[in-house]
Amino acid sequence: MAEPILKVNSVTKCFGGLTAVNDVSFDVQPGEIIGLLGPNGAGKTTLFNVISGFYAPTSGTIIFKGQDISGKPPYTLADRGIGRTFQVVKPFAGLTVLENIIIASFLRYPKRKDAERHAWKILENTGLTDRADVSAASLTLAGRKRLEIGKALALEPTFLLLDEVVAGLNPTEADKTVELILELKKQGMTILVVEHIMRVIMNISDRLVVLNFGEKIAEGTAAEVARNPLVIEAYLGEAAA
Amino acid sequence: MKDKSIHWGLPILLVLIALPAVIQDTFFLRVITEAIMWIGLALAFDVLAGYTGYLNFGHGAFFGVGAYTTAILMMQAHWPFALALPMGGVLAGVGALIAGLPTLRLKGAYFAIATWALSRAVQQLALIMDITGGPDGMRLPSFLNPQFFYYLMLAVVAATFALLWYLLECSPFGLKLKAIREDDQGAMALGLNPTKLKMQAFILSAVPTGVLGGVYAYWITFIDPASTLGDLVSDQALVMVVFGGMGTLIGPVIGALLIFAFKTLFWAYLSDFQLLYLIILGAVIALSVVFIPNGLWGTLRGARSQKKTEEKKDEGPAAKLSPSEGE
Ligand SMILES: Nc1ncnc2c1ncn2[C@@H]1O[C@H](COP(=O)(O)OP(=O)(O)OP(=O)(O)O)[C@@H](O)[C@H]1O
Ligand SMILES: [Mg+2]
Repeated sequence: MAEPILKVNSVTKCFGGLTAVNDVSFDVQPGEIIGLLGPNGAGKTTLFNVISGFYAPTSGTIIFKGQDISGKPPYTLADRGIGRTFQVVKPFAGLTVLENIIIASFLRYPKRKDAERHAWKILENTGLTDRADVSAASLTLAGRKRLEIGKALALEPTFLLLDEVVAGLNPTEADKTVELILELKKQGMTILVVEHIMRVIMNISDRLVVLNFGEKIAEGTAAEVARNPLVIEAYLGEAAA
Repeated sequence: MKDKSIHWGLPILLVLIALPAVIQDTFFLRVITEAIMWIGLALAFDVLAGYTGYLNFGHGAFFGVGAYTTAILMMQAHWPFALALPMGGVLAGVGALIAGLPTLRLKGAYFAIATWALSRAVQQLALIMDITGGPDGMRLPSFLNPQFFYYLMLAVVAATFALLWYLLECSPFGLKLKAIREDDQGAMALGLNPTKLKMQAFILSAVPTGVLGGVYAYWITFIDPASTLGDLVSDQALVMVVFGGMGTLIGPVIGALLIFAFKTLFWAYLSDFQLLYLIILGAVIALSVVFIPNGLWGTLRGARSQKKTEEKKDEGPAAKLSPSEGE
């Protein structure tokens, strides 16, 4: 097996007395899509925030491309090749869609002209071209989620973290986003994706990691995970509650 | 995306350069000189307030630092004005660096309060120190040449405008600042370092303000803690920028001109009603914040693009938008 692009080593993240992520470890191989599953509050977004540098882990390390990146700030990690979206989308609301993407493009294209040219390409890939000049605030939820992906892609990342980019979309929009993710995979992008919709996550993931109350309770292919009694309990337990 | 209004810049500058040839009245020239100064102060204030989203209620301290630095270097160290003035800008920049380290971590009202408190501290310092002349202030050698100060003020403010236009409207820097203003967490994920950018904006805001303080000191020939380190500069700049339109370079120019014209006329004809001036000013601000939150210029400019978007919406999504977008 190749050297993993990302190694999550016994990562724990506490907020005061609450342990949001508890001793979680897993590896991600280059080119893989890993689905991160778990009930609400399981710690998925917190783990994303640790990997992308928004939180330093309370203990444990994150190794990215062979280097320890734990606690490095997000802007350094963006430069190293980690792109992410936010579950609660963060459009630059007062700016146009094009400006949003141009800002993200500056990382790889520091000149305004080059950044703008690159941004148009991203707009096209994410189906936002005809929205270029409207303010990001006026986008629909689907548009905002697309914009999140567009901004992350404008960074030309090698590793992409997608936090519920499909949730809340209608089936047509959802299919388009899934298509986009699969296209990225074809181009060799490594992706860690959080999604609640089973149909989606089972479809696109090579492997799944399941969290519950901050702990990893299962890891494996979709079929393996679906058979895991801990997973069944976590989900049925939640449904019964 | 770029603002076409810049094309007016050169003709306006030429008119301003020719103006003293036409205007012989020194009082009038003096009024215009001060108006130009306020344009500069409002522009510098807007770097942080409008573009970066930080209301600096201690902005006036940079003006005072520039004024006192220039005055002290000229009077105590006998530097020529031409050398003392740039040092006013440099020291204001250094002041921003020092003040920014703790305050730029704060947001919203906390930043406003902290910068206000710091500026109060600076004023107190000027009141108790010997080198600043304490409450008596400092007198500078008088150089009675209204045209010189008109042209100097014009040069400083025109250079400030050009620099800000380049940095904020043409180079990536302006968009990066706006990203910080809109969402600093989101900006960080895109590779932007908010601490560094905010510091750069703070210094960019402080340096021209310090230089203007230095010009003011030599021009007026007398400075004291009340006139150069009080709240006036911050408050007035804020009012001008909010009224004219934050986050643009044209807005502060319009705001500064209108507010300063109003102030000058009021003081010329109704100077017995000083309180009324403040009440009217307060009302103008309250009303403009409520009814034209983007300021005069922002509203004027926004009205056009707004109309465009609404037309699109009214025609229904099928008319102009690709069906796949599905709104
Ligand atoms: N900044 C924070 N401060 C305190 N507690 C937090 C913080 N962020 C998350 N938590 C808590 O950590 C736990 C895990 O939250 P997290 O957002 O990571 O869950 P999640 O798996 O992403 O859930 P969801 O599916 O609802 O998005 C929750 O109990 C949450 O309340
Ligand atoms: Mg989450």
